[in-house]
Amino acid sequence: MRINKEIRQLSRGMLRASFTDGQLDRGKIASLVQSLITKRPRHFMDVLQYYKRLLRLEVEKRHARIESAMALSPQVAADIVARLKKKYGNDLTTEFVVDPTLLGGVRVRVGSDVWDGTLRNRLERLQQQL
Amino acid sequence: MSSILEEIETKIAGLKTSASKSNVGVVRETGDGVARIEGLSDVMLNEMIEFPNGVFGLALNLEETEVGAILLGESTKVSEGDEVKTTGKLLQVPVGKALLGRVVNTLGQPLDDKGPIKSQTFYPLEKIAPGVIKRLSVSQPVQTGIMAIDAMIPIGRGQRELIIGDRATGKSTIAIDTIISQARLNKAAEDEGAKDYRPLYCIYVAIGQKNSNVARALDVLEREGALPYTTIISAPASDSATNQYLAPFAGAAMGEWFMDNGMDALIIYDDLSKHAVAYRQVSLVLKRPSGREAYPGDVFYLHSRLLERSARVKDEFGGGSVTALPIIETQAGDVSAYIPTNVISITDGQIYLETDLFYQGVRPAISVGLSVSRVGSAAQIKAIKQVAGKVKLDLAQFRELAAFAQFGSDLDAATKARLDRGQRIVELFKQKQYNPIPVEEQVAVMWAMQNGYVDPVPVDRVKEFQLKLQDWLQTRKESLLRSIREKKQLDQELEGKLKAALEEFKTTWQ
Repeated sequence: MRINKEIRQLSRGMLRASFTDGQLDRGKIASLVQSLITKRPRHFMDVLQYYKRLLRLEVEKRHARIESAMALSPQVAADIVARLKKKYGNDLTTEFVVDPTLLGGVRVRVGSDVWDGTLRNRLERLQQQL
Repeated sequence: MSSILEEIETKIAGLKTSASKSNVGVVRETGDGVARIEGLSDVMLNEMIEFPNGVFGLALNLEETEVGAILLGESTKVSEGDEVKTTGKLLQVPVGKALLGRVVNTLGQPLDDKGPIKSQTFYPLEKIAPGVIKRLSVSQPVQTGIMAIDAMIPIGRGQRELIIGDRATGKSTIAIDTIISQARLNKAAEDEGAKDYRPLYCIYVAIGQKNSNVARALDVLEREGALPYTTIISAPASDSATNQYLAPFAGAAMGEWFMDNGMDALIIYDDLSKHAVAYRQVSLVLKRPSGREAYPGDVFYLHSRLLERSARVKDEFGGGSVTALPIIETQAGDVSAYIPTNVISITDGQIYLETDLFYQGVRPAISVGLSVSRVGSAAQIKAIKQVAGKVKLDLAQFRELAAFAQFGSDLDAATKARLDRGQRIVELFKQKQYNPIPVEEQVAVMWAMQNGYVDPVPVDRVKEFQLKLQDWLQTRKESLLRSIREKKQLDQELEGKLKAALEEFKTTWQ
C-alpha cells in the first residue's frame, strides 16, 4: 500500500470528524465509513485502511492492558481501574490478562506508557546492573 | 564465592523496588538494518532505543504514527511484534588514552585480541561543535613529514585539510605517513623528555574500506611503531551501513576527549565518499526524500557538523585541538561532483592528487596548482617559511614554462635557469611512502636548493644527492640539525654553519 499525501489528509480529516466531546463516536465513524463507501473517491480502500490504523492507535491510547502473574482479586482490580480512570479519564477501557511468565507483580500499559512492577522486570534490571 | 553472594545481596538491597515507568512501542516492520515502530510517543530524536535480545537502535525519523530507527548490532535478532523501549540516553562511546594502540568498532568495542578497553569516560557521538568564543586561531604546525606538504600546503593543529583524488593515487598513504611522522616526533620528544612538546595522538577512521586495506594499514603502523599513539576505528565494507554512518562521529568523540583535556588529536576520515554512500543507504531505506545523486537533503549538514568539530580551543575551554584530514575519492578526476564540492567548501583547503602525476613517477602526486591550505604560513615554523617561501611560486612558473622545455636550446639563460630549478624542486619533492622526513632535514635540503647547491647536480641524480645529504647530515652534523630543530629559525650563525656543512658535503659528493 502506497500512502500518499491525499490519502493521509483525507484519513486525518475523517479521524478529526469522528469525535464528540473528545471521545470517539461509533455513530459518526459508521456514517463516515458508509459515506466513503457510497461516494467511492480515489484510493478509497487505502483511505479506509489508513483510517482504520489511525482509529486503532486512537483506541489504544485510551485502552489499559493490565497484566499479572495470577488473576487479581476483584477488589485490587477495581482499585487499579479506579486509579487509572482518575489519571486518564473515564472513557478508559480496561483489559485484564494473566501471564505466568511475569513471575509476580503487575504491569500496566496505556498507549505507549508502561508501568512495570513485575518480578521479571526487576530481575532483568538486576541482571543488567550486575 | 561468599563475597560474590554478598555483592549480589548488597546490589539487591540497593535496587529500587518501585515500579518503573517506561515508554514502549511495537516493531511493525523491519529489514535492511532499519525498523519501523508504532508507539514510542515520548521518544526523542537520536535517542537510543532498546530492542529485546540486547539489540539497540537509534531513532532517526519521528513521524505522525511511527518512528523510523536504525539498528546497531545484529539486526536479524529483531522481528515484527517485538516490544521496544526508550532509554533516555544518547549513543555514546568510550574515550580516553585506554583506546590508544587499539582497533575498535563504531561503538568502541575492541576488534583486536588485546582484552577489554578500560575506560571510565564516555562521550556522546553527536555533539555541537565549539562556538566562536571557545576557539583560537590555528598557529601550531602538524608536521606531516611530507616535504611537498610541509613546504607548500602547511597544515595546522585544529585545521581541516581535505585529501582528494582518484582511486589509487596515494590518498591513504599521505594519511598513514602523517601518522608515522607524528609517532616518531612523539617518541623522540618522550625520549628527550621535552616538556614543551605537545604530542599529537592519531585516530584513523576506516569507513567502508576493504578489511584487507585496514589490516595493511594496521600492519604498517605496527611495524613503524606508530600504533601506541593511534586508535583505529574500523567500519569496513562488510559492516552495516549504520555502523559506517556512525563511525566518523565516534572518531570525533574520541578526538574531542583529547581536545577537552589539553591534548592534541589528529583524525583521519578514510573516506567520506563512502560515508556519504552509507548515509544515503540509511536515508533511502528510511524513505527520506532524496535529492541530487539520490543523496538526502541533509548530506551537506552531515559532513559540515562532523568537520566543524575539529578546532583549536582556548586554554580555559580545554586548550587542546582536533585536526581533521578527511579523504574524498573522486571519479575520473571530477571535483565538481556533489560530495567533493560539498567537502571542499567545508574544509580549510585541499591536497589534490593527480593520476597523471602519479604515473609520471611524481609521488606523492600532489598537484601544486590545485592544492591550497587556507590557513597559510601561520602554521609553519619560521625556518620553513624562510626556505620555502618562494617554492610554490617557483614551481608555478616552472609549470608555465614547462611547455617550452622541449626547445631547451633556444631559451635565454634566465628561463633555462628557472626550468632547471623547477625540475630539481620536483625531484626533491618526490618521496618514498612510509618515510617521513623530519622538519630540520627538510629545512637543510631546501636551504641547499635555494642557495644553488642542487643546481649543478644532474636531474636524474637529484634524489640520490638528497638522500646522501640527509644521511650525511644525520651522521656527521647531528648538532646542526638539533639546533635547527630547537631554534626553529635560521639566523646568521646557523646559515653560516649550514653553508660550511654543504661546502664540506660538496667535496665528498661524486
